[in-house]
Amino acid sequence: MEPDAQLVQLCLRGEGPAWEELVRRHTRRVYNLCYRFTGNGAEAEDLSQEVFLRIYRTLASYREAYGGFATWLTSVTRNLLVDHYRRTRRDRITDSLDDALPKLEEKHSATRAPDKLALAGELSRQVQQALSHLSPELREAVILRDLQGLDYREIQVILQVPEGTVKSRINRGRIELARLLEEMGLRPE
Amino acid sequence: MNWTCTQTEERLSDYLDGLLAGEERREFDLHVAACSRCAPLVRQVSGLVGRLRALEPLEVPPQLVPAILDQTLGPRKEKKEGRSGLFGWLRPVWQPRFAMGAVTVMATLLILLQALGVRPSALTASDFNPTNLYRNANRHAHLVYARGAKFVNDLRVVYEIQSRLRLESPPVPASEPEATPPQPNPQQKTERDGKPGRSAIREPLEFAAILIPVPRSLR
Repeated sequence: MEPDAQLVQLCLRGEGPAWEELVRRHTRRVYNLCYRFTGNGAEAEDLSQEVFLRIYRTLASYREAYGGFATWLTSVTRNLLVDHYRRTRRDRITDSLDDALPKLEEKHSATRAPDKLALAGELSRQVQQALSHLSPELREAVILRDLQGLDYREIQVILQVPEGTVKSRINRGRIELARLLEEMGLRPE
Repeated sequence: MNWTCTQTEERLSDYLDGLLAGEERREFDLHVAACSRCAPLVRQVSGLVGRLRALEPLEVPPQLVPAILDQTLGPRKEKKEGRSGLFGWLRPVWQPRFAMGAVTVMATLLILLQALGVRPSALTASDFNPTNLYRNANRHAHLVYARGAKFVNDLRVVYEIQSRLRLESPPVPASEPEATPPQPNPQQKTERDGKPGRSAIREPLEFAAILIPVPRSLR
């Protein structure tokens, strides 16, 4: 398998198949990040498309110094997610009045039908509900660390914050998520 | 050094991620083993991290990758080839405003082919021979001329007979046009349409039609 950097070079020379390979290789990572952050399948799809469109247009500006193509891609995704979060903040404030924590018990009604398919496991669904109640800073930190499996250094590059802040956010995010899941009735193993 | 509950909470992720070493790790372990508040917290968060890492990534919707590729590389190759292949050169004129012109050209071509005696359903190499084309065109021109001349001649005969009959028949009274219609040959008319009271000379064309067999009676 050719390394990402080589595929990027081929893409810049106008090789369509190289771009197709890059897209196929990384779509799952981008989609998962978008889905876990937004909790909505349709939004995650739209955002994933937007991410790859932006990557495609700015491919020439990619440098190895970013810490690898995957890190750069995740960074672009994260920035778009933050933009999207800010854009839709007003809608969410209205929604959140009807979506307080006690309603977490109504697991099935809270998730749209197509999303149920994606979140096949009960645990996956509960984690998604709990994540949606975390602040965006804590949410993205936990997703990047524990769901995407990135290390602290990569997360630091992506979030553009000091290492201490990264660690603190991951720690607080995990504790908060554990508390939320316990409230939802999920027992520790 | 006295390890506190706040420290446990603050360094929990460092502990779980293996970033706590030596003395600190030992202090952490000692505190958690003895603290009834911190023990469940460590158990909970440790369990959560394990579960999160074990979660399978979500499946990507099947339409997502094609949608991304369409958006970035443009429509798929198959469609592109279909358009730019055989009829690609027609694209600049393949527009509604040229439709009327195209239809007119087609009609003209059809008429021309007809006139040249070429049958598109049974084309042969000899159809494109200029001599044959000229012969066919010449034949058609003469045929059309002969048919025209015959038609004019026929009309002339009809009108000639009509005008002679008009001279022979008595003038129609203005007061009772229906009662005594001028009928040069009532028997013939009745045979034709079975309406003896109808005027026979009011319409020249109809009269002419009646008169087609008349030359027999005039013989």
